[in-house]
Amino acid sequence: MERISFVLASDSLEKLHAVGLMASVAAVSQMEVNVFVTMNAITAFRKSTVEKKAYRVEGEVGRHLLEKNGQMFYDLLQQGKMMGSLKVYACGMALELIGEGLDKYLPVFDEVLGVAGFLGKAEGGQVLFV
Amino acid sequence: MAQEASMKIDEVVDGRGLFCPGPLMELIKTIQLKPVGTVLSVLSTDEGSAKDIPAWIQKVGQEYVKTEKKDGYWEVIVKKVK
Repeated sequence: MERISFVLASDSLEKLHAVGLMASVAAVSQMEVNVFVTMNAITAFRKSTVEKKAYRVEGEVGRHLLEKNGQMFYDLLQQGKMMGSLKVYACGMALELIGEGLDKYLPVFDEVLGVAGFLGKAEGGQVLFV
Repeated sequence: MAQEASMKIDEVVDGRGLFCPGPLMELIKTIQLKPVGTVLSVLSTDEGSAKDIPAWIQKVGQEYVKTEKKDGYWEVIVKKVK
């Protein structure tokens, strides 16, 4: 099975959405997909951020996405998980710096991983950094 | 390529009004539940999906029949072969 892995580091709504789109379509296209959520990207998955829709919007496309109630990045990832082979990992370092556990975050994560663990999962496939 | 003339549509998946990848996801949900041999028509107002769906069909080894531009939307026809 082809493998593709995303390092999602940005909290920009547009970038989160782009990864949601690519990862979910890859998962339903018989690819094994890993998404490693690190740095500020993790904050977009916090339950309170999602409830308040307090995303960092970069520009026009992000504004339209919110206005038109497009499917959100976490729904796309959830869909990819349900319909294909997609795993979402939370960066242990980012969570430790913030001082929170996964209970404060959407239940989209499969587990907390470090970089070495993620590199092991991503081995042999393409890796995209967003 | 299937014989278009004799092809009867068994199931219509109406993905009009959905953003990409909505129409593709609707097709996948439906095609999983149908028996081999089912011919599905996917309707999409999203031009990207009209190109994406044939690419997906070929990637997963189903049978792509055709795409037709209709009045304000696209129709993609696929046959489930496995």
